Amino acid sequence: MGDTLTESEISIDQLLERPWICIVWDDPVNLMSYVTFVLIKVFGFSKEKAHDKMMQVHIEGRSVVATGSREEMEHHVQALHEHGLWATLQRDDKI
Amino acid sequence: MSQFSKTDGLYSLTLSIDEAHVLINLVEQLLELLGEGDFAHHYDQNDPFAQLMAMQQERTTPEDPVLKRLLPNAYADPEAADDFRRYTEPALRLNKQSALRSIREALTILVDAEADGIIEELDPHLWLKSMNDLRLALSIRLEIGAESFEKFENMPDEDPQKGIYAVYFWLGWLQENLLELLA
Repeated sequence: MGDTLTESEISIDQLLERPWICIVWDDPVNLMSYVTFVLIKVFGFSKEKAHDKMMQVHIEGRSVVATGSREEMEHHVQALHEHGLWATLQRDDKI
Repeated sequence: MSQFSKTDGLYSLTLSIDEAHVLINLVEQLLELLGEGDFAHHYDQNDPFAQLMAMQQERTTPEDPVLKRLLPNAYADPEAADDFRRYTEPALRLNKQSALRSIREALTILVDAEADGIIEELDPHLWLKSMNDLRLALSIRLEIGAESFEKFENMPDEDPQKGIYAVYFWLGWLQENLLELLA
């Protein structure tokens, strides 16, 4: 047997425990320095961490910037939208 | 030449009268767009009844591409996105409108004086946010992509879009200027 987990092997408990994530998506308009600035302001990241997340958005097209409850992620998405960043939330699809 | 400066922790912006006119026009156009279809806009924003009514209004992804970018969906699932929008979009609009209004107020002083001038003791966070919203709005109309700067540089001066591109890049420069002061 391979060690990949198939969908049927995921228990309901695991599904219910999956946290929510907040994702920032790349766009061609927001300045790199501005995205870094907003991440520091909204999440209190260090300059290095904010810069790394910004670069991940820039290069990979998206970055998970926060993980937690649905309410917390909704709050973050709203704050990011206020600053003009393109952000969404969803259940974490990794177990 | 427009420029932000910082003295003793206070931020100011030097603008020519022409630049003040350009900015106030953009700010007013965006305010008008953000007011569209916004029920709460016609009421006292602090009135709990108006807030309740605004919340009960059905909300879906805006059709206007600028509004779609400024008030994006929070969820990939359309039903969850609309549901979230119903509770949060009025506040998001108000947040953007109030920042734009305070900028308009500051610009009005220069525009009314019909002279170059300095906007003193401005809130750098409000200016950053609003300049970013203005750039986002312009970028949708100009269909900005990765190659846009090259396109702009090679554009003949008589092209009517060239001036709008120039404003877009100027705003980016100003935003960068303010970010450097905030760093």
